[in-house]
Amino acid sequence: MANGATIELLYFARIAELVGKRGEALPLAQPVSGRELLAELESRYPGLAPAARLKLAVNQYHRPPSVTIRPGDEVAVFEPVTGG
Amino acid sequence: MDPSAARRIIVSEADFDAAALQAGLRAACAAQAGAIATFTGYVRDFAPGEPTRTLHLEHYPGMCERELAEIGDTALQRWKIAGYVIAHRHGALRRNEQIVFVAVASAHRGDAFHACEYIMDALKTRAPFWKRETLEDGRSFWVEARESDFERARQWEPGSSPTTENKNG
Repeated sequence: MANGATIELLYFARIAELVGKRGEALPLAQPVSGRELLAELESRYPGLAPAARLKLAVNQYHRPPSVTIRPGDEVAVFEPVTGG
Repeated sequence: MDPSAARRIIVSEADFDAAALQAGLRAACAAQAGAIATFTGYVRDFAPGEPTRTLHLEHYPGMCERELAEIGDTALQRWKIAGYVIAHRHGALRRNEQIVFVAVASAHRGDAFHACEYIMDALKTRAPFWKRETLEDGRSFWVEARESDFERARQWEPGSSPTTENKNG
């Protein structure tokens, strides 16, 4: 993330299994919405299709799909949490 | 929020000593703690006749601690409580092991009960943990989130609170 032109993606639980990795850096020159990012991931990873309810956290805060994601952000993708 | 309030968050792979955590909260809140309400969650069988062998808890380090502290601090603002402890484990847990512990100290039981229940309901829908069950018969799967948990959490949102806030018990 030296020039800030990437985002750091983190995948958790079933999403990490479906994507086949726990994270990756994604080039991102311009801000995108969470919805746009999820659509990009779904086209990149067709295996994500069974995960109907993708949730986002940006810089470790829960965010709705309308959130704006900027270069340099840490973005986590996961299904609804099941702790407790 | 009372700056002297006792606030403690523990996210660890190791088991916790619930009695020691409660005693620590009691000591930290000194004479203010007329009541301590606690909740402990354990690994239970997935369903009758479908015993659980292990439960693997994946978590998001950093966000877990922050989210739990935010939930505890919201409880401090909404009710008259003197402090809280929230402990949550991650990693591989066996059947019947402890998963989660919440203790809330207050002058009165009403605030302690309400804050403890609020913390658990918020934790279930916000704290970034995910459970993977492995049953005795070898089947293994990610646990699905339950709509009832989200309904419970929504009841605490402003305007739909099921309980009167800041009411002495």
